[in-house]
Amino acid sequence: MALLLQTLINGVVVGAGYAVIAVGLTLVFGILHLVNFAHGAFFALGAYAVLLSISVGVPYLLALPLAVGMVAVIGFATETLVIRRSLYGVGNNGSIIVTFALAQVFMALLLLVFGPNPLPVSAPFGQTSLSLGNVVVAAQRVFILVVSATVLAGFGLWLARSVKGQQILAVAQNPKGALYSGINVPLIRSLSFVLGVSAAGLAGGLLAPIITAFPTMGNNSLITSFIVVILGGMGSISGAMLGALLIGVANALFETYASVSWTPALGWVMVIAILLFAPQGLRGKAQLHRY
Amino acid sequence: MVTAIPFPFARIVTTAVVVAAVVLFGMLVDNAFVITLAGYTFAFSLFALSINVMLGGLGEVPLGQCVFFGIGAYGAAIGMVTLKLPFEVALLLSMAASVVAAALIGMLTLKLTGAYFSIVSWGLSGVAMVAALNLPDLTGGPLGMFGFPPITLLGIPLSEPRAYFFACAGLLAGAVLLMAAVRDSRFGAAIESVRQNPHLARSVGVDVFRERLKAFTLSAPLAALAGALCVPYTQIVTPEVFSVSNTVDALLMVLLGGSRLAVGPIIGALIFSIIPYFFDMDPNVRVLVFSGAIILVMMFAPGGLHQMAQALVRRFSGGAR
Repeated sequence: MALLLQTLINGVVVGAGYAVIAVGLTLVFGILHLVNFAHGAFFALGAYAVLLSISVGVPYLLALPLAVGMVAVIGFATETLVIRRSLYGVGNNGSIIVTFALAQVFMALLLLVFGPNPLPVSAPFGQTSLSLGNVVVAAQRVFILVVSATVLAGFGLWLARSVKGQQILAVAQNPKGALYSGINVPLIRSLSFVLGVSAAGLAGGLLAPIITAFPTMGNNSLITSFIVVILGGMGSISGAMLGALLIGVANALFETYASVSWTPALGWVMVIAILLFAPQGLRGKAQLHRY
Repeated sequence: MVTAIPFPFARIVTTAVVVAAVVLFGMLVDNAFVITLAGYTFAFSLFALSINVMLGGLGEVPLGQCVFFGIGAYGAAIGMVTLKLPFEVALLLSMAASVVAAALIGMLTLKLTGAYFSIVSWGLSGVAMVAALNLPDLTGGPLGMFGFPPITLLGIPLSEPRAYFFACAGLLAGAVLLMAAVRDSRFGAAIESVRQNPHLARSVGVDVFRERLKAFTLSAPLAALAGALCVPYTQIVTPEVFSVSNTVDALLMVLLGGSRLAVGPIIGALIFSIIPYFFDMDPNVRVLVFSGAIILVMMFAPGGLHQMAQALVRRFSGGAR
């Protein structure tokens, strides 16, 4: 019983981290109708930005928002220089190729600057952990849970209550109608892209103390967030949160009771099953391209 | 169909010049490293051709095409080391295995298109990599498979650089001719119609799913052949063959050379291996440079370098057609 409880808690905590990355991915898909294969690269950039800030003496708690800012700037530059110019009118696989190539560029740059080896990122919580009865959770993981929940709740409120948030939702529903109503659609698209990749950067900074920073870390996180987003339904923000928790718990259960080394395959099998039998996911609209 | 050279005569001359250049290169160059690398480039070009069946043919981005490359490489390795089969037999068996795998995978996944197909395809290669890491009895686990007997193909010793070069060049030429024939066939026309407009294709009686499945099943043995032919060069097969970076290399080749031209992937493969050799590029610099180039190509000339060249030729010949 204690083992099951510990496993479930671990799953929820890991899922909270997934939720932040996945919400970014699903936001970009919902607004720009762009499947951003470079999303994982921004996750890695976030982790390395934290690493860089710490190495020049900035404390972790300050390095984290600083890293999100850096990723936001890189994201804005990417949107303005590449995405905006090449995405529209290139057709379906054009955007896959461009965003995928962007990911390769960022990954190769990280490899060249920082080398291929995993680099440790120190966080103030170090090795301390909290215990509640029989359940033990590392302090950094509790921090991740708190920050993720706060950011996601704040983002949800902002989306529902603020004018900009409502404009984002309007552009997602009907870009032309939004344009006719006087909403600055290019600005909203740019804002959504920057928000989306900044979420990935935040998640990178949050998870780096646990998983260390390495150049290909983006691939794993991209794959995880695809799994989460497809499970939740492409473009649905509440679906992404739900999917993240489900995947986190499912992975933890599989790791504990089945096999650690086969766990990476589990998510893929789930995604393939979902795409084949329930392609709109948990909360998505049926808009999948199929024959 | 788009061709770079409008007249059959010019095409014949070009083909003759290319064949002569390849033969002269193989006869005259003495540097064993260069000639082996050239052979490997031709072998890897087969993988690029396979990717182009999907990219240029179906308009899908097959991020997991390395599954079939890996089946070829592991098939050759397991066949030679574990089953003690001759290389030819192992090669044919692994190509057959890749066809079966493609038919099964295709039946499950080819209903999906666009990003969904790319994601699931990538995912399957991830599953394949996890499987290769976790089945040490079959695949040698993380260390991979090595220690092959001297590899010969129908009596040609592939360990000898010149023989390896000509064997790869010959097989590549055969594959290109086959692809050209396929593209000019009814099946090729059906595929082209599916790529351009699947709904229209279906309305005139093309079974879209079936044609896509046929193209996918055709692309797999090409990749498996490439995987097996790379074994004499690499001398080791590790789970890394299922890594997405393997697909990325071939994808960059196709995009550089242009996906609309039958020999585009080969032109791309040559650029991809010659330029880094002359500038002594680190593999990471290579990915950086060529990925950057791809972004520029997609922004300014989505048809690849061959489209750029064509536009230049048209401008200089003053032809306003």
